[in-house]
This record gives sequence, structure tokens and C-alpha cells, in this order.
Amino acid sequence: MLATAGATMDQPPLEALGVGPTVAPSFSTVVADHGDAIYRYAWHLTRNQTDADDIYQETLLKAYRAYGKLDGDANHRAWLYRIASNTFISDRRKRNRENPLTEAMEQTVPAPAVEQADGLDARDLLREVEHSVTELPPKQRAALILRKYHEASYAEIAVSLNTSEVAARANVHEALKKLRTQFADRLDWIRP
Amino acid sequence: MTTHNEPRQTHIDQPAPGASIIEEARQPGVDPCDVACDAMPGYLVGDLSTPEKLWLHEHTAGCNYCHNVFDSYERVGNALDDTATATPRPTLSVATALGLREARYGFLDTPVGPVLVATSDLGLCEVGYLAHRERDDVLGEIETRGLFPIENQASVRPATDQLGEYFAGKRHTFDLPIDFGAITPFTRDVLGATSRVPFGDVLTYGEIARRIGKPGASRAVGNALGRNPLPVVVPCHRIVRADGSMGWYTGGTGIKRRLLALEGIHFDQTRQLALGANVH
Repeated sequence: MLATAGATMDQPPLEALGVGPTVAPSFSTVVADHGDAIYRYAWHLTRNQTDADDIYQETLLKAYRAYGKLDGDANHRAWLYRIASNTFISDRRKRNRENPLTEAMEQTVPAPAVEQADGLDARDLLREVEHSVTELPPKQRAALILRKYHEASYAEIAVSLNTSEVAARANVHEALKKLRTQFADRLDWIRP
Repeated sequence: MTTHNEPRQTHIDQPAPGASIIEEARQPGVDPCDVACDAMPGYLVGDLSTPEKLWLHEHTAGCNYCHNVFDSYERVGNALDDTATATPRPTLSVATALGLREARYGFLDTPVGPVLVATSDLGLCEVGYLAHRERDDVLGEIETRGLFPIENQASVRPATDQLGEYFAGKRHTFDLPIDFGAITPFTRDVLGATSRVPFGDVLTYGEIARRIGKPGASRAVGNALGRNPLPVVVPCHRIVRADGSMGWYTGGTGIKRRLLALEGIHFDQTRQLALGANVH
């Protein structure tokens, strides 16, 4: 005989009553749970409030429109990160296509002007690191930020960036290697 | 300058998830220094197990070159930690970003179980029984009305106070602004007529139909009341069937019976309205 868990002849399964863990979270609950993290992500990606606001708003709008079609068991956090990542990456691509020459100028964190051993203090260095992160290729930047600041697993990063786990890991490692080659020497100077 | 950032399929270059770098470094023909340096980025982002971290520390302690490389990686890691500064707040609220109005909600414990209460900028917009329903089910329904729910207990204080007084038997009418949202004129008429049924009275669905000028529409009246977003405040529990039985109720007939009992109206064993009740 076929029996559904929890269901008997005169008792409908719990799902039929709309109770139990089968009720998907409402959209507002998903936003309440993950909205702040998504804004933080947008901020880390852009380091600029106007751009972060734009990515955040576009992510919310896309998510709101698509939410009804989403599987209730979905990993909502990774799903939101994915929308935000796509928004960010396609926005960068669009900017570069429209005006490739401004690619270097669009960067929001100003590149440090002076590069002299004596004058480089810790604050200059942090600005420089911030700047270098915003100069990483978008996918590497996104992967590094998710791993470093959002405690994302590589599986989540893979979903968020529409790639494989191996590629997600490679993107994070590649970003760190680049940062190290850029800073290894100068980091040494300000060592306490 | 264009950068090709999509890594090629370099599986061999990356420590496979789960495979130990310690074993890898022991393989014949493998230079442990290569393994150590390749593992360093992963060290910064929590990829390594405790034995692997120990191995890496041990190796770098005994190898000058790796020690220097490791040192610079650690400083990059520290710099990244330090740049994780406080994030500003979004300029727009979520509701504004989505072009929706906010519905602030809170909760109230009542003799008929927990209740979710929500209020928009226009007024009370939801009283939802949670005894047999998930919170997110109620929130999802609020969302279908173009509202964005945000938990804020203080905002619903006037409503929860008045409902609390009602359940304590100290209040017979409600004095709250109401937001029914976009509803049909028919439903508006039904809810309006129902609102005018006083505490302790019961009316039939047919009588409501007659009062709004739609005699014979008692079934439609029942349907409209079934979608009443504000039970208790719009007292649809005071509407019963013409044969004196209770009829359906949004929170279940058990709740309907308790509300009517609170108002002094009792149903007998056969679930019929007890004689003497004030039915029209």
C-alpha cells in the first residue's frame, strides 16, 4: 500500500493544511533575512553609495518579480547573491562596452597619487587595497568578496556567480594572488 | 586593457576540495614549496583544515622563501580584514525601492491563539489568525495586495491594544482607521454592513444581502466575508446561517464559537444557535 508520510485515511497530510515546514517564506521575510547582506555585498563590490544603491534596488526589483516562480526550497541567500552578481557584472560590461576608455576612470576609489616608502601610512595602504579590489576583474572581485566578507561556501559562490565550484575557488585564489603581487613589497614597509 | 578573468580548466593547479595538501606535498616529484605557496590564498579564506594549517606553518618556519611569501599573504589578509569597514545604509527603504507601500506588522496573543496585526499608512490592513496558519502565509497574502510587510510591533500598538481590550471583554467597538485596499464595491458594501452589526447581535448572510440591496446574494455575501482581511474588527463572526448554524469562518468555526461566546451568544449541542439569541 502506498502511504504518504503523516497522512492517514481520515487525516490529510500537513501540507494540505498549509502548515508545517512546507510553507515557503514570504518575499518580505526573505528580504528581512538577507536584504542587509545584499546591500553590504553591493557596497563591497562598488565601494560607492550611489552604485551600491542602484545594484541593491535593481536586485530587489528583479527578485520581487521572479519570486513567485521560485522553488520554495531554494537557497534564497544564494539566489539573491546571484541576482546581485549578475546585475553588477552586466552593469560593468555595459559600461565598458559603451566607453572602454573610461574603464580606468569609472573606478570609484581614487588611486593613491603618491608612492613613496616614507609617506605611505596604514591609511594610504588600506585605500590602495580597496582600490585594487575594485580593479580586479568583476568575477574575481565578486568571488573574493563573497568568500572573505560574506562567509559564503564555494557551492554558494558557484551558484551566485553561475559557475562551477572549482572555478569559484580559482577566482578567489586568483584575486588574492594578484593582490599579493601588487602589495607584497609595500606592505612590508609599514609593518609595525 | 582587457583582462581574461575566466580561469581555464586548471584543476591540477587548484587543491581539489577535500584532498589534503599534506598528502599532495608527499607525492614523488612534487616540490613541497609549490604546494605550500599554492595553498596560501586558501589559507586566507578558510579553505584549509587544522592539520593543513599546521603543516603550512611548519613548512614556512623551515623555508625562507616560503616564509616571505606567506608573510606577504598574511599582510594582504590583514589589509582585507581592515578594509571591511562599516557599510552605509541603503538610501531607499525596500518598499520605496519596489514602489510599494509599507505594512507594519506585529503580534498579539489572544484566547483564540496568536494573531498577526498589520497596519499601512492608511490604516489597519490585516488581522490574521496564526493558530492554524503560518506567519509567512499571512505575510504572502499581504504582499499580494501590493504592500510590503515590515515587522514593527510599536506601529500596531493602537490596534493590538484595542483587540486586547476586546478579548478581555472591556471593549465592544473599535476605533481604528481601516485600509481594505483594492476591493470590489460589493465586498466594500458587505464589510461595511457587517461592521454595523453591534456586539452581541447576530445576523444571517441573507439579511446582510438584503441590507446592501442585493437580496438573494447570501452566498456571495458569505464569499466576501470569507475574504475579510480584518476579522474581529469587522465582525464577520456575527453573521450566521439562516438555519441557525454557525457557517464557515476564516479562522475555523472553533474560533467563531469562542468569539460569539465572548459576546454572550451560545450554540447548543446540535450546534444550532441557542434559543433566545438575538438573531435577525
